[in-house]
Amino acid sequence: MTSRNSRAAACGALLAALIAAPAADAHFQLLYTPDAALKESAALPLALVFSHPFDNGFTMNMGKPEAFYVVSQRGEAEPRTTDLMQYLQPIEWAGGEGSKGAAYLANPPRSVTRSLGDYTFVLKPAPYYEAGEDKYIQQITKTVVNVGGIPGDWDKPLGLPVEIVPLDKPYANWVGGVFRAVVLSGGKPVPHAEVEVEYLNHEPQLDQRRFAPEGKVTAPQQSFVTLSIRADANGQVIIGLPKAGWWGICALDLDDDEQHQGKELSVDAVLWVQAKDINAR
Amino acid sequence: MFPRRLIPIALLPPLALLANVAWTHNAICDCYDNGNDTITCEGGFSDGGKADGVPLRVLDGAGKVLVEGHMNDNSEFTFAKPKVDYRVEFDAGEGHLTVIDSRDIKE
Repeated sequence: MTSRNSRAAACGALLAALIAAPAADAHFQLLYTPDAALKESAALPLALVFSHPFDNGFTMNMGKPEAFYVVSQRGEAEPRTTDLMQYLQPIEWAGGEGSKGAAYLANPPRSVTRSLGDYTFVLKPAPYYEAGEDKYIQQITKTVVNVGGIPGDWDKPLGLPVEIVPLDKPYANWVGGVFRAVVLSGGKPVPHAEVEVEYLNHEPQLDQRRFAPEGKVTAPQQSFVTLSIRADANGQVIIGLPKAGWWGICALDLDDDEQHQGKELSVDAVLWVQAKDINAR
Repeated sequence: MFPRRLIPIALLPPLALLANVAWTHNAICDCYDNGNDTITCEGGFSDGGKADGVPLRVLDGAGKVLVEGHMNDNSEFTFAKPKVDYRVEFDAGEGHLTVIDSRDIKE
């Protein structure tokens, strides 16, 4: 075999191995804002990106979201829903592996988030066709932000088809603590739900529309890139928070055999949780 | 340090703690300009407790009371925007006053 032929054979074998290997990292719908616990009200920048958050992997193309809104609530006041679709700005987001994916930024004015209390941002993205599995994926995603320290309905379900409902404030977590939540489908807990957890290892850089090239941590082995866990018999999950930043929790395939354009649709629920260093100033 | 608008209420006498559980938590208040010559202030406690009935005063630079009232059932108080510089005092208990300068109140 010539040198060229042997290189080609090696590349072919590598490609085949890559295709055959199970995905080592998970798709995660990001609904990112830098700070989940604001001291005072401010306009919040948001980035909606469908990517692989631990290793800055391939960024996938998002279609126009089906819904994007925020439910705000303070103390015992009535919750208020504000539609945010008008603020979606289509952009191209650079991911790893030279990928560029269709994504969105949103910069709602300060008036949207000027009240004290909880803000649960909700994104129902368009189903994404995953050719590798010949199916669609739709990750209904929540990110909870608090303004000023008066809590609201962070622990209440929003009535979404699938969702992860916090048992601890998702915006008030020390590094080293644990975070608990319940996986719901159709409003009911999902016993032993399949759940993936990933650390947002490459900080999003909204002005450059990319993730920071350098990650904050390295994984000792592939199993640590996406942590795979199961909910317990009551649909409850508990995760540790060993590092400051955002942690994504994704409960997989919670629907009841949904279809989209004649193919399987996996409806997942994502919740983002932010941990802060206990010695942070 | 707590930010300027967050007033710790943790050092009240034991009787006060028994009298009102909400006061074992921090009282919080903030205001915004509605853009229609009115100002809305919101209050509450860090445990989610309501601030209904908590007194709120609006004073000018000389300390003259321009507006006086109480937080409503929704823990809010709205008043006509004064033509002069002013400050808002959210009075959640003796020695535990949140003061907001009009220059910090934005739309």
